[in-house]
Amino acid sequence: MADTAITTEQLTKMYGRSRGLAGLDLDVRPGEVYGFLGPNGAGKSTTIRLLLDLIRPTSGRASVLGTDPRKGGAALRRRIGYLAGDFLVDGRQTGHELLTYLGNLRGGVPNGRIDALASRLDLDLSRRIKSLSKGNRQKVGVVQAFMHSPELLILDEPTSGLDPFLQQEFVAMVREAKAAGQTVFMSSHVMSEVQQTADRVGIIREGRLVTVEQVEELRERAVRHVEIHFESPVDVAEFAGLPGVSDLRVDGALLRCRLSGRADALIKAAAAHTVVSLLSEEPDLEELFFGFYLTEEVGHVAA
Amino acid sequence: MLLRNVFTKSLWDARRSLLGWTLAIVAVGAMYAAFWPSMQSPEMAKAMEAYPRGVLEALNYDDLTTAAGYLGGSVYGLLVPLLVAVFTIGAGTRAVAGDEEAGTLDLVLAHPVSRTQLALQRFAGLVVSVAAVALGLWLVMLALTGPVGFDGVTAGEFAAANLQLAAFGICFGALAFAVGAATGRKGLTLGLSAGIAVLAYLANGVIPMADGLEWTRSLSPFHWYLGGDPLSRGLDAGGTLLLLGVAAALVAIGTVVFERRDVAV
Repeated sequence: MADTAITTEQLTKMYGRSRGLAGLDLDVRPGEVYGFLGPNGAGKSTTIRLLLDLIRPTSGRASVLGTDPRKGGAALRRRIGYLAGDFLVDGRQTGHELLTYLGNLRGGVPNGRIDALASRLDLDLSRRIKSLSKGNRQKVGVVQAFMHSPELLILDEPTSGLDPFLQQEFVAMVREAKAAGQTVFMSSHVMSEVQQTADRVGIIREGRLVTVEQVEELRERAVRHVEIHFESPVDVAEFAGLPGVSDLRVDGALLRCRLSGRADALIKAAAAHTVVSLLSEEPDLEELFFGFYLTEEVGHVAA
Repeated sequence: MLLRNVFTKSLWDARRSLLGWTLAIVAVGAMYAAFWPSMQSPEMAKAMEAYPRGVLEALNYDDLTTAAGYLGGSVYGLLVPLLVAVFTIGAGTRAVAGDEEAGTLDLVLAHPVSRTQLALQRFAGLVVSVAAVALGLWLVMLALTGPVGFDGVTAGEFAAANLQLAAFGICFGALAFAVGAATGRKGLTLGLSAGIAVLAYLANGVIPMADGLEWTRSLSPFHWYLGGDPLSRGLDAGGTLLLLGVAAALVAIGTVVFERRDVAV
């Protein structure tokens, strides 16, 4: 096995004069689940299409499973499973037809593997793909990416369109892949999608890698919007200055604030009163990116 | 099993359109061929004489007094080759550009298939499809030989004409395939290929009527296809090789460019 599953060095892709990717340095280790996070248009799909040799870099290098994607060709792609967020196929065929064909292109997949995955995802393979809902179509994509148990899974916004139950099933499949020693490279613009499975997260913004972090660290830094309804009005002073709390507003019995890092101090302060309800919104990824962006700017000024 | 590889899958995907086109082309050919007995009546001969020579030539009706001349003009000269060209230009466009614009090419190319393999196997599917159409037309012409009577056009001469028809179709299929593989743009591919087909048609029958433009005929695939008069003189090896040679060159260029360029999203 290669030392790294995916490496890129100053990988750059220009589309005419507009930038797709501006010097990306990536390092994905074998056997890890790597979340590739960024807002829409940041260059996630461009990166993935470069790794699959669907497009060619303007400059820089990429290495996938120890091979240049351009030179690795078909032999390299045999070891990869790929799923795009908008899984597009000719809708006139049935799921079974398509998966048999794709399996044959891979030199066949183990007997019963396709049916087992389909029944696990509750997918009817006998129906024409155009008659399937967006979610069910995406399941066909999940099956084709996983069916040959590839060394490396490259998943581009994989759970778009899947309902919450299936997202959980998908998370389980990613964990099993990791347990089996497979490497997973997964892009997303939704934090929650990657934080359940990823070991590390790389954040990309405007074609550049902004930071790489352990998921745990990222979660501690993430900013949440918190809303607490108390039974009776509370005093602002009790909550002002708590660690991690900012933008604090108290309106009678309703408290609103932004919370970064651990929730402990806020919860303990709130526990002194009767809490009717507590709402903690998903960490906002855009804000997270903005946070990194600001940090960078400040850094430049300081230097 | 037709889901085995890119080649067989392309035939499987084209099964309905192939059946439709074969039936349509064979039906048109059979209909025109069935008119042959009535073309021999004195009234009809007189009616045709009334047409200016140039109009008849433009329509490939050079000689209406023999079965070979009539069939060469009506069946093999106009509607059938135009239908075959439309069919193969459509198929050639779908092979790469259509798939690419639909966004469905990425998935197959993410599999262990090289772009060259994909392109060549799909083109092979096109060749087999055209061959099926030509074979169908040949069989129907043979079947009509008994009841209609094409005085003296042999099975071998019909075979030559249909073989050259297939080569003609492959040539235009290769053109659309090459433009599509090189650019990935469906509209451009269809437009350019159809434009060239129309020019080629005009260069064979209409443009050469102008003084000093006789030479344009030798550049037209329509001329390479029918200029050697296969229905009365048998296989025209030169014309057929020219059609297939141009097709091979186009396929090679298209595939090489496709191998090197970015695949569009």
